[in-house]
Amino acid sequence: MKNKDRKIKRLLAGPYIIWSAGFIIIPLLMIFYYGLTDKDRHFTFHNIARITTPENLKALGLALLLSIISTAICLILAYPLCMVLSNLGVNQSSFIVLIFILPMWMNSLLRTLAWQNLLERNGIINIILGFLHLPPLEIINTPYAIVLGMVYDFLPFMVLPIYNVLSKIDSDIIAAARDLGANSVQTFLRIILPLSVPGIISGVTMVFVPALTTFVISDLLGGSKILLIGNVIEQEFKQGSNWHSGSGMSLVLMIFIIFSMALIAKYDKDGEGTAF
Amino acid sequence: MIKKTLQRFYLIFIIILLYAPIITLMALSFNSSKSRAKWGGFTAKWYVRLFQDDQIMTALYTTLEVALLSALIATVLGTAGAIGIHAFRRKYRTLMMGVTNIPMLNADIVTGISLMLLFIAFRFSLGFSTILVAHITFNIPYVILSVMPRLKKTNINTYEAALDLGASPLYAFFKVVFPDILPGVSSGFLLAFTMSLDDFVITHFTKGPGVDTLSTKIYSEVRKGIRPEIYALSTIMFLSVLLLLILINLAPDEKEDRKKILSAATARRHKVSRFILRKVVPAMMIAVLTIGGIFYSTKMEASNGDNQVIVYNWGEYIDPEVLELFEEETGINVIYEEYETNEIMYPKIQSGAIAYDVVCPSDYMIERMIENDLLAEINFDNIPNLKNIGDIYMQQSKQFDPENKYSVPYLWGTVGILYNKTMVDEPIDSWSVLWDEKYKDSILMQDSVRDAFGVTLKYLGYSLNSTDLDELTAAQKLLIQQKPLVQAYVVDQVRDKMIGNEAAIGVIYSGEAIYTQLENPDLEYVIPKEGSNIWIDSLVIPKNAKHKENAEAFIDFVCRPEIAKMNFDFITYSIPNEAGRTLIEEPELRNSRIAFPDSSELDRCETFKFLGDENDAVYNKLWREVKSR
Repeated sequence: MKNKDRKIKRLLAGPYIIWSAGFIIIPLLMIFYYGLTDKDRHFTFHNIARITTPENLKALGLALLLSIISTAICLILAYPLCMVLSNLGVNQSSFIVLIFILPMWMNSLLRTLAWQNLLERNGIINIILGFLHLPPLEIINTPYAIVLGMVYDFLPFMVLPIYNVLSKIDSDIIAAARDLGANSVQTFLRIILPLSVPGIISGVTMVFVPALTTFVISDLLGGSKILLIGNVIEQEFKQGSNWHSGSGMSLVLMIFIIFSMALIAKYDKDGEGTAF
Repeated sequence: MIKKTLQRFYLIFIIILLYAPIITLMALSFNSSKSRAKWGGFTAKWYVRLFQDDQIMTALYTTLEVALLSALIATVLGTAGAIGIHAFRRKYRTLMMGVTNIPMLNADIVTGISLMLLFIAFRFSLGFSTILVAHITFNIPYVILSVMPRLKKTNINTYEAALDLGASPLYAFFKVVFPDILPGVSSGFLLAFTMSLDDFVITHFTKGPGVDTLSTKIYSEVRKGIRPEIYALSTIMFLSVLLLLILINLAPDEKEDRKKILSAATARRHKVSRFILRKVVPAMMIAVLTIGGIFYSTKMEASNGDNQVIVYNWGEYIDPEVLELFEEETGINVIYEEYETNEIMYPKIQSGAIAYDVVCPSDYMIERMIENDLLAEINFDNIPNLKNIGDIYMQQSKQFDPENKYSVPYLWGTVGILYNKTMVDEPIDSWSVLWDEKYKDSILMQDSVRDAFGVTLKYLGYSLNSTDLDELTAAQKLLIQQKPLVQAYVVDQVRDKMIGNEAAIGVIYSGEAIYTQLENPDLEYVIPKEGSNIWIDSLVIPKNAKHKENAEAFIDFVCRPEIAKMNFDFITYSIPNEAGRTLIEEPELRNSRIAFPDSSELDRCETFKFLGDENDAVYNKLWREVKSR
């Protein structure tokens, strides 16, 4: 009975397996094909090797640096926020979660353009600062503006999974720790933090990967003076119409993605930390 | 107490961070100036215009349709998939979850292009259905990842107990398991819907002609500046969702009511307000949306049929009224599609994924398309209005279309320097000002390979079509030298930044210069004495066009003097139509040195030529080295 039931359930995955084979696996294989061949369809490692040219390595390094920094900032901002939110009680929780999803309903390009308006030399922030006789903020077209844009765009992806794990922690466990004499620092370090690791890991990946591959943010807020690996790939595909080397470089990026997937699999075995 | 206040402050800080840009956008929707960089006073006219704009409204409904359908299908497939995968053995479960993660973690551009390659390889014609398939594909993971944790928390024993008590598996599932995973399912749906709304890159590569979502519409408009109507629309969408949320949260909570003992009257009142706020209000919103959708889709379908012409043009490159006039007069239905650069347009034509009838590439791209045998010869017997096009422009066209066989000039212009008279001291007449240390951080440089190198090569006295490696490295050296002085590399934002007094000097197209002067009279445009680029965007017919005669009728129509004049008034780009030019009312525009420079200035200018894939690769490499400095 039980076994038969399991079999029926497995059948339910059928449509999705067919779908993912057709629209996830095959396109992925096509990227591999393009990445490993040249124009005349001969096998080559040349496209992948192009990542080692100094300018591409620099773009990759910078992208890694900026995305690590913004992931760290997101984590530092999001964790206390989630602690506050998870204490608010269940009634408000769904509302708060929606507050974080809601900005995503405005087109992301428009939101990034709005940051330009805010940050520019004669922008809104500087007008306010000037009014208060404070020195102007000059970060537009610098890496700082890019980090700000990344933090802004991807913060919800950090908040939601962490909030999700924190709100699931049984308050009895914390009370027990207190009863056994732990102070609040100890409770946090020994109980809350370890229990929230799955959420942190999935938040970190969900921020890090899009930040690593973005090209819109660096274009709009970095004044296109700062070349990230996402811009390089985008240019290969769009300006150069060179799908072979664009695919090759995407394959390199995929290494980082596979690495983050392995990280999820290791620390988040049960999928508890999944975002939503 | 202090802790609480601190917490409050922190919460407010984060919310300000999240909502500052959104409030900015809302403010812009009331700005009477079209430029985002200038506050022109309060107005509500964009809200009125929004509802008159069929293009934006149909794009809105396509967006909602795609988002709703893809989220629904993804929810069904994903929930079923999650239940199935949950029953897998551990090894297979990990494998399937890995596959599920791929679209979430892959760069959008990779997902988009790989799906386009797939659709082309299997000869799917790109259109609404391919967008839908693509959106379902990237939506399913969000559903699975929200349902999975809920499934893991369900207790298998209750389900088995239901079976033991005689429930059929299906009945037991819907009565026992489903209520448990419902929150996961609904948040998966919500998230899928949100992701679908916001996607641009994947949609762009998988969409067909005439199908636009809001994002693709917005991106094609970046070139000419986001239309304020879009801000108005975003504001309405945002506020209505916010209102919905607040109303739903205002409703008295059912669970709480059960705990408390309420008088019959209060209970009834709560029940009624719950019913109104949670059921009636959302139902009314959905009704308004549906009626609007039916209204706009009937408007669309009324003009269906095969008597059509598919036009692929630059973003905001025609007065929309021209399209209406053409449809009225000829009965030919125009399917109008926009792109933002030649390089984005090219692979779509080359792959043959869509059979466009009329395209409007620039000079060097036309040469490339001729070389690759992508264009059809135009039958000029069908285009009597060609006589209105000035002879000088037909001569210029010979540089890329030697026998004038494939192209009809549509709009043209030059590249020059736009400067702010209040910010520079000396008269500007040379490219050398772009290397002047005085203007550090006040220079806006073009962010496209050919334009950046073209300007520098001209400054050095070389041809802007140079393929000589020594000349190119010399230009590259100068560009590297210039980089510390450059405030930003921009394509389209040069306009808004110059209007907003962000920079003193910018490299710009002449057509944009006229518009910026109207918004900011301190700006002046000059073609430097070393010479510059003159570009021509011409109408061509691709070889695989299905409605060639309609295409020729369309080209003939836009060559009419009064139509050319309408386009000039709308876009302020120079028209090659001599007869049309004489119709321009304002003498200062008709005789504008910016729009119609005299021939001595034009003699110094060159058009871009297609240099071949190898040379393109050299240019791209050199440029990338400049940018990565």
